Amino acid sequence: MPNDGKYDDDTTKFVTVPTYDVHIQLRKNFIMKINSHALSHSISEKLKVLLFIAPLLIPLLTFWIVPFGWSIYISFTDWDYISPEYSYVGFENYQYMIEDSYFTEALYNTFVFSLGVVIPTVMLGLGFALLLHKNFRGSQLYRAVIFSPWITPTVAVSIVWSWVFETKSGLANLLLGKVGIAPIPWLESGDTAMTVVVIVTVWQAVGWTMLFFISALNKIPESLYEASLIDGCSPWTRFIKITLPLISPTTFFLIIVNMINSVQAFDQFQILTQGGPSGSTRTLLYLFYQQAFEQYDMGPAAATSLIILAITGVLTLINTEMGKRWIYY
Amino acid sequence: MSTQSIDLPLANSLMGQQQQTTKKQKLTKPVAPVSTRLKSASNLLLKHSFLSFAGLIMVFPFVWMLSGSMKSNDEIFSNPLNILPEQFRWETFVETFNSAPFGLYIMNSFTVALFTTLIVMINSAMFAYAITQLKFKSRTVLYFIVMACYMLPGAVTYIPSYITLANMGLLDSHTGLIISNAASVFGVFYLRQVFLKVHPSLIEAARIDGAGEIKILWAIVLPQCKSALATLFLITFITNYNSYMWPSLLITSQDLNLISTGIRQFFIAEGNYGLNWSQIMAASTIAVLPLLILFIICQKTILSGIADNGVKE
Repeated sequence: MPNDGKYDDDTTKFVTVPTYDVHIQLRKNFIMKINSHALSHSISEKLKVLLFIAPLLIPLLTFWIVPFGWSIYISFTDWDYISPEYSYVGFENYQYMIEDSYFTEALYNTFVFSLGVVIPTVMLGLGFALLLHKNFRGSQLYRAVIFSPWITPTVAVSIVWSWVFETKSGLANLLLGKVGIAPIPWLESGDTAMTVVVIVTVWQAVGWTMLFFISALNKIPESLYEASLIDGCSPWTRFIKITLPLISPTTFFLIIVNMINSVQAFDQFQILTQGGPSGSTRTLLYLFYQQAFEQYDMGPAAATSLIILAITGVLTLINTEMGKRWIYY
Repeated sequence: MSTQSIDLPLANSLMGQQQQTTKKQKLTKPVAPVSTRLKSASNLLLKHSFLSFAGLIMVFPFVWMLSGSMKSNDEIFSNPLNILPEQFRWETFVETFNSAPFGLYIMNSFTVALFTTLIVMINSAMFAYAITQLKFKSRTVLYFIVMACYMLPGAVTYIPSYITLANMGLLDSHTGLIISNAASVFGVFYLRQVFLKVHPSLIEAARIDGAGEIKILWAIVLPQCKSALATLFLITFITNYNSYMWPSLLITSQDLNLISTGIRQFFIAEGNYGLNWSQIMAASTIAVLPLLILFIICQKTILSGIADNGVKE
């Protein structure tokens, strides 16, 4: 069996080498090689993933996640931003909130404002969508026109609206004067000031809501309508029994998202009312702004912001839960 | 109103069916009953007049703004209801540009919005690619962490972010503004949806050919979703261009103002006495017009992008 050995290089003698051992050795080498390769491979895999997620994760951590925890911490202190010393006050900021008439009023205002915005926005958005979801000559133009306020800076258009609702020379009062109604001090009295901010907000939000309804309406299968036509349903029954149930997930989604947006509305308040007159348009976010950046009461401000978070958090959770349940198609 | 729109297309499709059947029956002319045709025509008229009316209300503030900016202050008080001014006073715009550096404000807004948007596009695309196309254990967790940030209101992060930027010495600067807006939860959410639709076989094929992941993202995935990218670009740009609250807290130097903070300063300086509406309207026009023009050019991308992909914000 000449193949079972080899000539030793040093001694030039023929030595027999057991093939079995050679194979074991080779195999071991091979496995080690594979392992080290896999190790370096998985490290490079991880590095690759890190390379892809880091550019987003770094700013997200710095300006979202860490500040979130930090805010929770601040909300338990009485820090005033200027002095380096502060003390831990436990739940005092939260307890004070319940007694604070500013806070309860702001909570109530936020609630009134959200409902005041959401109901007309969703109803008008649905109305426009029903009229515009089919393509016809001019439909694209109407859609663009109704959507256009969303594009423009809230600050600038709020300034325009503040002129429209100006008491002495504003368009609204001039038109009311034409039909013999005494001028209304729109932005100077509590009830009407909120109404004005609601009008401006609805005006900006309605086009965006409409686009969502349009896409929902266009997903309803035509065959359903044809079936109802054969059954001889009236248009109204058709709307109540077919359209409304089928778009209900979208409706629900839009109600929640519009609510979240109105809880976070700030620009229009800042221009039109600054929370006034006498706090009648001060929402939670505006209260937060005043506490944090006008009075430098960082502790109570952080606590207020966390209440805002609690509200949006609950709304988001309801949204996802209901979203899971209400799927018709 | 609402019932008509359903009524109309149905009436149309019915007429279409009738046409087909009549064509089969020896090519007689399509006969819809006169009453039906009249009804649908009057419905159409009603629909158009209602929509035109609603459309007019929606654009009216813009018209009123333009009209105000063209009138002189005297005319605003003497003939307040004229929509068309007696004479178009273009010089109001010159005066407005002279009384505050609006050109600079627009440039500031434009650069800040552009850089923010570019960074957001790049890091959202990379992140969305990682959680849709790369295989690693924590990717679902990671996605949920990012999505949880979606319900985090800005207010919660403002105080600590403000302190962080102060520590970095970036408080009154555009860099601070850009980096603090560099993470967009919406961008990730939107691109993830889009990337999930890219066919996996394309990416597999590229991997077998030995393409690196960055190259796959750049050369295979991104070209597949150009329209979605355009929509994301426009929406991010517009949101950043219009943003007010956070910039108003950060920026204190006048020459670093964005258009929204600059126009508010101008409004407070000029507007509290209610005397200079024509210049204030000119300033608003300066702020609003670039975006309206952008919208007119890109309306198709924006409208269909929002309607098709289910944009959240």
